[in-house]
Amino acid sequence: MGQDKLFPAQNAELPGAFENITLKENHAVEILAIAVFFLLVTPLLSVHRVTDFMIFCIFAMSFDMLYGYMGRLSFGQMLYLGTGAYGCGLFIKYINGNPLLAIFAGVAFAGLLAMLLGLIIVRTTGACFALINLAFNHIGFFLVLSPLRSITRGEDGFGVSASQIGSLNFGSRPIMYGAVFLSLLLVFYFLRRLTSAPYGIMIRSIKEDETRVRFLGYNTFLYKWLTFALAGTIAGLAGALTALNYNYVNPNAMDVHSNVGVVFACLIGGAGNLYGAILGGVIYMLISNFLAIYIYRWEMFLGFSLLIIVFRFRMGVWGYIQRFWVHKLIPRFTKKEAI
Amino acid sequence: MLEIRNLDVSYGYAKVLHDVSLNIKTGEMVFLIGRNGAGKTTLLKTIIGLLQPQKGSIVYAGKEISNLSPERLYLQGFRYVGQEKKVFGNLTVQENIEIAAFASGEPMDVSLKKITSIYPKIKDFLKTKAGQLSGGQRQILLVGRALVGEPKLLLIDEPTQGLAAIVIEEIIHILDSLKKQVSALIVEQNLSLVKQLSDRIFLLKEGKMVREIISKSEESGIQDLEGYL
Repeated sequence: MGQDKLFPAQNAELPGAFENITLKENHAVEILAIAVFFLLVTPLLSVHRVTDFMIFCIFAMSFDMLYGYMGRLSFGQMLYLGTGAYGCGLFIKYINGNPLLAIFAGVAFAGLLAMLLGLIIVRTTGACFALINLAFNHIGFFLVLSPLRSITRGEDGFGVSASQIGSLNFGSRPIMYGAVFLSLLLVFYFLRRLTSAPYGIMIRSIKEDETRVRFLGYNTFLYKWLTFALAGTIAGLAGALTALNYNYVNPNAMDVHSNVGVVFACLIGGAGNLYGAILGGVIYMLISNFLAIYIYRWEMFLGFSLLIIVFRFRMGVWGYIQRFWVHKLIPRFTKKEAI
Repeated sequence: MLEIRNLDVSYGYAKVLHDVSLNIKTGEMVFLIGRNGAGKTTLLKTIIGLLQPQKGSIVYAGKEISNLSPERLYLQGFRYVGQEKKVFGNLTVQENIEIAAFASGEPMDVSLKKITSIYPKIKDFLKTKAGQLSGGQRQILLVGRALVGEPKLLLIDEPTQGLAAIVIEEIIHILDSLKKQVSALIVEQNLSLVKQLSDRIFLLKEGKMVREIISKSEESGIQDLEGYL
């Protein structure tokens, strides 16, 4: 039963509205907007602080791939951030001081670990998925703390001193800022392209109804595994950058309790959207950096905020910005654009 | 094309299908009717690989397929449209089509042309979130999406259930336009639709196949169907 015989009208001209359909989007303006945003806030805060913010935003985007896009809540994403940090730090300490190679090593370690654990983890869903991630995070934390103490220096951690590549000295704050800034934009661009592509549509569909995605011929396990590995790899990048930014790695880089921060960031920013992850990351970092100055036990405030978000503002800040502003404003500029 | 032989299917200890046999020839539109609980949906779910039969075989194009997963069956040309009318509500209509086009490797514009050929109005909804569509629009989207790629066999569960008369007319028109172009096994309770479109009808009662009616030659048999519903 050939295609020509089936649906004879398919060779007809596309009806009016389809003529302008373009499935590729231009993300240059979006990247520019993010770049301008971070460049503008830098003088208001400080280079070191904004570097920290941007690293956390990379981490938040990695988590958002899992939770926001694929609907899998993990309480163990810090494992991959920590693995990236240790991978990078240990590479510099024992193998080579080249910071670029060290970043690559950190990313590779985290990615490989995520690939390996993903084979088990992505077979689960819901609470089981969240808790199994938590369990592996715990194992990782105690591994670096105790059994691997001879190389990780246990609780004390170790210093990370990267060597200079030509005039590139990662010990310099502006250079580190530039490297993180570039990494953030690259990660955003990469994930934006990916999530706008059919792959992105597919993982969002898995979030809605995995069985129906299987009816459409997809091996959902493979896509879930890929997304998990990707999220772990990007978290590893955030970890490697953290190690270089602080010139120091200790088990806090893998602290189970720190998972709350990234969950909070995605919820407050708006899960399932990279802008939401970035915005949530910035808001969380602002709260954790500045609220602590004024409020004793500021974490309690986070708890209250989380309750308010969950019960009243489930779309997150970006969700509301989209609803009230972007959807009204953007059509004015793109009226003649493709649908 | 598809041959189901002596199929037994159970949910746990509860046997739902007893020794069911059925066949579908290429290009045929076959209807499966029966009362609620007769096992119609169970049979579709078994064909599509969601349930494993305890006994019997499902042979497609000469090969046993009862152990294949839904995704493998999709690649063989099987398309399942469930009775729940579940689209991906948070995706736009265009994205709902795109995900199917991507799976089958068919260019998106070809998929869109196919769907507009059976339902031109869909172009007005492409940017709409599928969750905002009416029940009828969802059903049309699901049937349209099933045509993406190279469908060989459509398995449609109660396509007109809960829909307004005007939408049912639209669905009848769409299914009619597919006749002889793609094989279909349709579970349906709407007898006027069954009478209008069927090549053959299978009657399922309490999990057993009790009757087969060849529509063209058994007018009287079709008239009797109401007694079974």
